[in-house]
Amino acid sequence: MTPSEPASDDLLRTVRLHVFNQAAETGRVPQPPEIAASLGRAEPEIQAALQQLAAGRVLILAPNSGNIWAANPFCAVPSSFRVETRGKTYFGICIWDALGVLAALGADGVIKTACGDCSEPLRLEVAGGRLTKSQGIIHFAVPAHHWWDNIGYT
Amino acid sequence: MLLFRAEEHVDRWCETRNIKRGATLTPEQGWQLAQGWFRDKLKPDWRRHTLEEAEALLAKIGLTGAFWNLRG
Repeated sequence: MTPSEPASDDLLRTVRLHVFNQAAETGRVPQPPEIAASLGRAEPEIQAALQQLAAGRVLILAPNSGNIWAANPFCAVPSSFRVETRGKTYFGICIWDALGVLAALGADGVIKTACGDCSEPLRLEVAGGRLTKSQGIIHFAVPAHHWWDNIGYT
Repeated sequence: MLLFRAEEHVDRWCETRNIKRGATLTPEQGWQLAQGWFRDKLKPDWRRHTLEEAEALLAKIGLTGAFWNLRG
């Protein structure tokens, strides 16, 4: 198989489950070489599968790179949206995804971020499936039908 | 999507960057949206929401109007 050939549905499912399960279990989003090694597949196969998953908006690849930027809601790189739960630290690419980490994990936790304007620390807490402590207000700059035009900016 | 201390901080952020003000929601609405969007993401049989499902989720949270229109 070459990178230009479409990945099978089975491989797409296998890669998806591996990436998201690893992210959930460890707080770290695996990258193509690790995914290939873990699944015993060639890296070009994995890269092709990730491209397809990204095209299907299952995850987001970094610009000009085959690396995963976010297996959203799990961000692969540290961000200003820090999620602490189950003794681990996760990151979201935005406040929606930070909340999404706790929603996906079904876990209690704390989100630590800062005001986008003045950088004052802000904190949200989730317990028992409810938002138990909240501060501030969320702003969406991009209208809903343009969210995926440039998901990084959104 | 960023979190701000208050509406006036959103205004200042937009003015400073010459960005048109978008829409705001409460953290509770954000939590509802996150739950609806991501709750099933780790499940083996996860699939993306259909357009209709996504619209219904936004509407249920009170996110209606042109800004939240997914159809363009």
